[in-house]
Amino acid sequence: MLTKRLRIKLAPYLADGLATLALCMWGVLILQYWQSGKMGLLIHPNYYGLTLAAGCFLLMLTCLQVLKLWRRRVQARPQHLSLLSPPVMSGIMLVAALIGLLVTPRPFTSQTAIQRGLQDKTMVTRARPQVFRTTSKPESRTLLEWIRTLDVYPEPDAYAGQKVNVDGFVVYPEQLPDNYFTLTRFVISCCAADAYPVGLPVKLDQSRKAYTVDSWLAIQGEMATETLNGERQLVIQAKSLKPIPEPDNPYFY
Amino acid sequence: MSQFGSGLTLFLSLMVEAMPFLIFGVLVSGILLLFVNEQQLIAMFPKNPFLGALSGSLFGFLFPVCECGNVPVARRLLIQGASAPVAIGFLLAAPTINPVVIWATWTAFPDQPEIVILRLVFSFAIATIVGWVFSWQSDLKPFLQPNIAALMIASSATSSADAPETPSFLKPGSYFLEPGNPVALEAANLDAVLAIAAPKPKSIWNRLPLLLDNTVQELREMGGVLVLGSLLATIIQVTVPRNIILAIGQGPVTSVFAMVILGGVISICSTVDAFFALSFASTFTSGALLGFLVFGPMFDLKSMGLLLMVFKPRAVFYIFAIVFQLTLIFTLIINLWIS
Repeated sequence: MLTKRLRIKLAPYLADGLATLALCMWGVLILQYWQSGKMGLLIHPNYYGLTLAAGCFLLMLTCLQVLKLWRRRVQARPQHLSLLSPPVMSGIMLVAALIGLLVTPRPFTSQTAIQRGLQDKTMVTRARPQVFRTTSKPESRTLLEWIRTLDVYPEPDAYAGQKVNVDGFVVYPEQLPDNYFTLTRFVISCCAADAYPVGLPVKLDQSRKAYTVDSWLAIQGEMATETLNGERQLVIQAKSLKPIPEPDNPYFY
Repeated sequence: MSQFGSGLTLFLSLMVEAMPFLIFGVLVSGILLLFVNEQQLIAMFPKNPFLGALSGSLFGFLFPVCECGNVPVARRLLIQGASAPVAIGFLLAAPTINPVVIWATWTAFPDQPEIVILRLVFSFAIATIVGWVFSWQSDLKPFLQPNIAALMIASSATSSADAPETPSFLKPGSYFLEPGNPVALEAANLDAVLAIAAPKPKSIWNRLPLLLDNTVQELREMGGVLVLGSLLATIIQVTVPRNIILAIGQGPVTSVFAMVILGGVISICSTVDAFFALSFASTFTSGALLGFLVFGPMFDLKSMGLLLMVFKPRAVFYIFAIVFQLTLIFTLIINLWIS
């Protein structure tokens, strides 16, 4: 009897408390991503400020809620229309935030690159340059700049013999012979949800097995043209392949 | 394992990117709901049915509510004497035609301004057309649930042509006795009761706790849905093989049907649905993305229950049959003739 009455009395506190905890955890999660530098794995730097403000707002909201609960201003009141009961909704948010706090996000891998259509010709056209300028020195072009240059003037032979100095991670595409891999980077315009891969085939003197999938490499060499799968393509003739640590911010923008 | 890893990154990126927009939407709509006098605004609507539908569709600019909040507001508009074209135009357009959603869509598709513009144009056109169609029904009451119709009569005493024989407050039950505006205290019109009871605190300081309550409740509700929606988007992205997604997503007709249905089924809030659509941007046609972005906010399974408290099932069916067809026509035109 007592417990039932207590439960009825405590129910609004519990519902509000759970919601407050869930929102607080999301605030903590956002601040933690910002502080640990992991935010770059998830979203475009343009939106750091906005997301950070959201995190601070959530923590401020938590303080106000705690203050309200402390002063016992809670009363049972009509709830908004819900798909699931409010505590379940809070629970879902809380669990999602806790997973985010416990599991560190990893950058996308070669599997995602293939899933996202690294091998599709059409993908390249999405790399619409915001500003296009021809870098006078080929060796200072990044992988993305090479792709964009190629997109504007898609004649592989025009680039043969130019020096290359790029970095990215290793993907083994299915249709390329054993002495090729694709050096790949992801490009994002808003957040990781829209990341799409760009890459160039790298020609090796040996089997690609020497370079494990997803490892990061800085490659120096020369551009060459080869006929792969019945199509003339620009490939990087690698001279030096140096393993590098995975960059803090693995995306291009 | 690497699939789980990239799935998690995808999921968290959707959540982290969408969170500020969700907060912004909730906050702005909460502030406006609590601090703006709707009756003064309603008096400013044009009487002409077409212009009414047009201005109702644009009303979302002042009341940026997503589809979770538009039904109660549309109901309040009806009760407080707004015409049917105004209320229906608002109901359908407000979740899309508002600054927060436009900003979020722009954020998600910075490289494809056509998505942002066409989303607005289509939503606006559909909402205005449907609102206008409903203006041909001179007496809307057969389409409304009896208690809403009664409230309309009670509040707009001027349209006395078909006033009921018994004033609504003579029926049994408890009432909020507003001067000239009795509101039955029934479960079915709790929101109507709240609508009249809620903005009562006089000073701004007394309204702030209400704003806090409202913000926490809405964030919990929509945040939960956002988690589930992002999870679904992630699972589809990570588990469905690419050739199947491409087969559906690249077909000009199949892609539109798939995304329109997905938009209807998934109850993700319109302030953040652009980010959900973003994860399909590389595999689905533009028409399909537009179908999702236009139909999704208008038709929401979650708010169906609430809508059925305002309109009779027949009217709800008519509204969405027209909306569905117009969405298909517009997006198929994009897919088959333009892009």
